[in-house]
Amino acid sequence: MDLVTVNGLSKRYGGIVALSEAAFSARVGEVHALLGENGAGKSTFIQILSGAVQHDGGSILIDGQDYRPANPDAARARGIAAVFQELSLIPDLSVEQNIWFRHEPRTLLGTVNRGEMHRRTLALLEKYDFPALRPEQELRRLTLAERQIVEIAKGLAKDPRILILDEATSALPAREAEWLLKLTRQLAAEGRLVIFISHRMAEVRAIADRLTIFRNGSTVAAHEANAVSDDEIVTQMIGRHLDRLYPERVPTMTDRIALKVANLASGSRLSGVDFSLREGEVLGVGGLQGHGQRELFQALFGATKANGTIELWGKPTAIGNPRQALTGKDGIALVPEDRRGQGLLLTKSVRENLTLSVIKRFTENGLLSRQKEAALVKEMVDFLRIKAGTPEQLAGTLSGGNQQKVIFGKMLLTQARVLLLYDPTRGVDVGTKGEIFQLMRDLAAKGYAILFHSSDMPELVHVADRVLVMRNGRIAAALEGDHISEEGILRAAMLETRAA
Amino acid sequence: MSAEQTVETAQMPAQTKDTRPGVDWRGRALDRAPFLVACLMLALIVAIYGSLQSGVFTLDELNLDTAAAMTLMLAATGQTIVLLRGGIDLSIGGMISLGTVIAATRFTDDPSTTAFWGLTILALGFLIGALNGLLISLLKLQPFLVTLATWSILNGVAMIILPTDGGSVPGWWVGFASAQLLGLTSPVWMLLGLFVFWWWFCATRVGITIQASGSNEKSAFLSGVSITRVNIVTYGLSGLFAAGAALFLITQTGAGSPTIGKDYILPSVAAAVIGGVSLFGGRGHLAGTLIGAFVLTLIGNLVFVLHVSSYWQPVASGVILLLSVLASSVAEKAARSRVQ
Repeated sequence: MDLVTVNGLSKRYGGIVALSEAAFSARVGEVHALLGENGAGKSTFIQILSGAVQHDGGSILIDGQDYRPANPDAARARGIAAVFQELSLIPDLSVEQNIWFRHEPRTLLGTVNRGEMHRRTLALLEKYDFPALRPEQELRRLTLAERQIVEIAKGLAKDPRILILDEATSALPAREAEWLLKLTRQLAAEGRLVIFISHRMAEVRAIADRLTIFRNGSTVAAHEANAVSDDEIVTQMIGRHLDRLYPERVPTMTDRIALKVANLASGSRLSGVDFSLREGEVLGVGGLQGHGQRELFQALFGATKANGTIELWGKPTAIGNPRQALTGKDGIALVPEDRRGQGLLLTKSVRENLTLSVIKRFTENGLLSRQKEAALVKEMVDFLRIKAGTPEQLAGTLSGGNQQKVIFGKMLLTQARVLLLYDPTRGVDVGTKGEIFQLMRDLAAKGYAILFHSSDMPELVHVADRVLVMRNGRIAAALEGDHISEEGILRAAMLETRAA
Repeated sequence: MSAEQTVETAQMPAQTKDTRPGVDWRGRALDRAPFLVACLMLALIVAIYGSLQSGVFTLDELNLDTAAAMTLMLAATGQTIVLLRGGIDLSIGGMISLGTVIAATRFTDDPSTTAFWGLTILALGFLIGALNGLLISLLKLQPFLVTLATWSILNGVAMIILPTDGGSVPGWWVGFASAQLLGLTSPVWMLLGLFVFWWWFCATRVGITIQASGSNEKSAFLSGVSITRVNIVTYGLSGLFAAGAALFLITQTGAGSPTIGKDYILPSVAAAVIGGVSLFGGRGHLAGTLIGAFVLTLIGNLVFVLHVSSYWQPVASGVILLLSVLASSVAEKAARSRVQ
């Protein structure tokens, strides 16, 4: 018998249908992949399963019994735990307090038994071979990847029968992502059901037994993983045939140097970085995660203090803070890593998000020109094909891919022509990824200069004109032409690490 | 799907071990900077006060000052819980007034009657606070607005019960504040009690859940926290402490006052903020708040011994509040630039 059987599940938010007639079934001991573009209804589906929201229609059976959790606690009581993409962690609590939050072992006085909690934490981390974590550390000091790992530990601490992993690998560096895939298989072997959501086909291929495909809030198909080709899956996901994910790479770079960086250093994570980025070029930045890529982008954008020289379009520039970095045609614009935290105001409209940092552009005599603003917003929404009902729709209600497009729009409206893209396709569906790559090439053709970091190596290989490989805070290699390959990047990223 | 997409994720060999440094002392110090600044301020004020007045460094002075600060400390303890939750409670002003007028009109020489009404006042405090929490959750309104409204209502009720200052409480109730044990008066023991309470409270699931809900409400909800229940308990406790403050206050005034509570609303917030409690929730400790309450109280003493107009007291309080807010924001900034 199936452990979970879902039939005709539906959910509306106001006038928007998030799920209609969704069906799903999965067995004990399997890894079941859930696939679909952003906005296909996967998130709503797992929110219902984990008790965060309640469905309007249809049925969910667990062990043949009706299941309708009123809140996340009720879901947990039935053995379901979710590892949320947005993370359910408390910044001001320690790692171990987060892992056991609300399930802490207690003393007779009703206080938390810290010793016991610490012991259990170590046992849990040990059992599943977790990457190094310091249990006493406060969560807000952790990187995004470390937080993701804590969230996974938190899910496992509840010893669930069904574990939902919502794009848990997207925030992880390659080594930790690899660990998670192994862990997923281990959990299935222990007789649990793992529902696995990922936009990375290779991962799904590596671990899934079966897969269910969602499109526009409904289930399109369910397959045994080895009985279906990638091509079929993608066709079913997007409802049409996708010819190419990566656009053709026509070299558009000129001899003009847009950004010249010399001897850039910042703290212990960045030392002596030199490179130049040319007009019309997409320059990739790769390497193992945590080797200074983030610091490089932040230093260029002025979000952290750095030493060294930066020239923009031939002029030496001191970029002091993000506001300064933003301004003007000769400026720099950044697509940040954490779009929900840093890039977007989720409770503001698409229009407000787009124009907030460029209010000057449509101010006349100290007054806002609403017409001018509306024209600019329309231009951006059309150009980027942002799918929003109206420009007044709240950014928080858009799908991940469309949120990312709003950030691109915001960046383009600053008129800066040096663009820093830090993992712009993280958590974005395949269809939108393709659009973003095409957009990058189009912008390059228009004379923009783009510095591009991705945690997904094939993206660097197929989109960038050149790839800088970082290692220990330095540029270890600059790959060009035929030398750009995953193997080449890895070799440069790792070889001398060993020698050092 | 193009062929490129299906390229296997490259295998990564095991990398070097974790190389992060041990305990981050500087980060911890920065975290506690607002609290340390508050300690420094208190030390400074005590030093100035001690140099102008003899007998400052005695047990008697400690007893006196603690008694003077205790009403504020009790009110500020409740306020600290609410601030940790990320809210604010203005209604404590109304609750304190209401508590004093009920006590002044109902307490008699008969201990059982007085005990009954004392407990009633405490229960009322919790219930009215719980109602605040319920309204905030159900109506999805700002705590500021809801508690502003209940403050006004409670104030009105207090006025109806006792239109002007008056009434009385039994002599033995008034004597409570000066009762001594081992050379320490009851307020000092209460102060120690507050520390014990706080140590216990922060280590319980209730305390952790309240702090967590103030740190990140959405995460707390996703972790299974009932936000409504958290609000009921948080504001209930605040009301309870306000009622306790009223019962203590009346040992000092000996009479009820329908307007006295307003004097504690903003100082209770100020004491917490001076002590490093974040107005945005999730961060802070009662120790800071209590030091903040001492700072605010001792400024009064200082103004007195300096023989200047007592109107300088609020001026000095405001300056100190600004200084401590400045200190926290500088520390916050430094801490953040260190993290990333």
